[in-house]
Amino acid sequence: MTVDTQTIVSVAAYAGGGLAMGLGAIGAAIGEGYTAARANLAVSRSPENSGEIFKNMLVGQAVAESASIFALVIAILLLFLDVPQPTLLKAAALFAAGISMGLGAIGSGVGSGYPGGEACFGISRQPAAASQLTTNMLIGSAVCQTPAIFSMVVALILMFLNLGNSAVNPTWAAYLGAGISMGLAAIGSGYGGGLAAGASCAGIARQPKTAANVTTTMLVGQAVSQTPSIFGLLISFILMFKTFPATGSISAAMALLAAGICMGFGGIGPGIGNGMAAEGAVRWVARNVESAGDLMRIMLVGQAVSQSTAIYAMVVSLVLIFVL
Amino acid sequence: MGELGKLHQLIIPFFGHNITINLEVVLMTWIVISALLLFGFIAGKNREMLPRPIQALGELIVSQLYGLTEDALGKEYAKTYSPLICALFIFLLFSNWLGIIPHLEEPTKDLNTTLGLGIMGFVIAHYAGIKSKGFKAYAKEYFQPIFFMMPLNLIGEIAKIVSISFRLFGNIMGGSIIILVVSHLVYSVALPPFLYAFFGLFVGTIQAFVFTMLTVVYISVQVK
Repeated sequence: MTVDTQTIVSVAAYAGGGLAMGLGAIGAAIGEGYTAARANLAVSRSPENSGEIFKNMLVGQAVAESASIFALVIAILLLFLDVPQPTLLKAAALFAAGISMGLGAIGSGVGSGYPGGEACFGISRQPAAASQLTTNMLIGSAVCQTPAIFSMVVALILMFLNLGNSAVNPTWAAYLGAGISMGLAAIGSGYGGGLAAGASCAGIARQPKTAANVTTTMLVGQAVSQTPSIFGLLISFILMFKTFPATGSISAAMALLAAGICMGFGGIGPGIGNGMAAEGAVRWVARNVESAGDLMRIMLVGQAVSQSTAIYAMVVSLVLIFVL
Repeated sequence: MGELGKLHQLIIPFFGHNITINLEVVLMTWIVISALLLFGFIAGKNREMLPRPIQALGELIVSQLYGLTEDALGKEYAKTYSPLICALFIFLLFSNWLGIIPHLEEPTKDLNTTLGLGIMGFVIAHYAGIKSKGFKAYAKEYFQPIFFMMPLNLIGEIAKIVSISFRLFGNIMGGSIIILVVSHLVYSVALPPFLYAFFGLFVGTIQAFVFTMLTVVYISVQVK
């Protein structure tokens, strides 16, 4: 039985679209559930603020859902995309786009549920700070989406950019590696950023006066939590835009695929770890605002050590791409 | 859709190498610089005890950023570094906002701009570290906890440049790609203004602030 290229491209696009939405649905649902659970707790503590809490819960869940909506957009595009010149490379790129977006939406979805939940709970403790809490929650959960946005960018580049006439053999693996690298590396960073944002909402509820310092620490902490996903983005850019010489052997292709897998898995742990460091720093800035500068410095040094494992993964990936 | 990934470049042959200049980025950077100079000139002219709105805006930016620098670095260093930090923030803010004006593009969409600013922050932080601790104590830190960790510590420092510049570049370029693709898909109906408000104004402000704060904190890690 012979299969023409058009069919292979369609198969890859459908499989990619399915994976994008299927995986992309995991995270946001968990995050929104957490928000709703904390909102229930908040209402039971102070039923008189139930209207405010309910409103805040809905806003928080709407923001937490955006990672899933990115996945939905990519999935629909993959299903209805028509490819003018179907090639085997395009098939690999479309499948990789689905993987990148699907995996990339998991972390941000779970993570951005935390600030929503903590903001609801905070309103029950400190109803006067409700508007500050909502603002901080919106900033925190929007920044949580950054890894998902990176995944979406990689997916869109894979789908729409004409990546030239590269040799099919090692390049298919490079595209798959690019998708896997970005998708997996985004999981830890999205979740970690959510931990920091949740702690900042809890902190503002405890001490509304410290809001400026808490938000600043949260933003820096989240930014550093995203570093592993930026390494993932870097590796996937290199894999997408570097031209690889044509070979007949499978080992060159496997090296490129392995580079993506290595960076992707290597980014999960450091992202979560950095988020925990940021969570601790943000929590204690709210309690002890005088030492905010010291706390932020220690957080940054701790995060630098915690993400050294992501740097090892990046070094191994670069060796796999450029040396082997 | 053809705009995706297209650049206007000036390529100058130079002793066997090609020097590539991204013309649009240079032009946009000059637009930002002129806008900043104009703002500074208007805000600083005829200063009065009772400030006019634009002077008040200038004072607000300067005093807020001075406060942030002072929190992280202490009084003594804040005097030295707050002008730099202030300039960095408003440059990034104007750069990130430039894309919301039709036909103009963010200079920070180009990796060269963000990488240049990242390397600048790196050099300044390490210069500050060497100046405050002396070269010996500075160099000793690379051999912590044991001497053969030196190459990895070095890579860790360089990874800071990669992360700070790719963060800004990825956010701004990602936003502009999403705006381009989504606008194309909906035939530029209804959605684009909201996308510009989110990716241009909101994400642009946050990323400008994050880049500035990280530069401050990198300096503070080096000097303390």
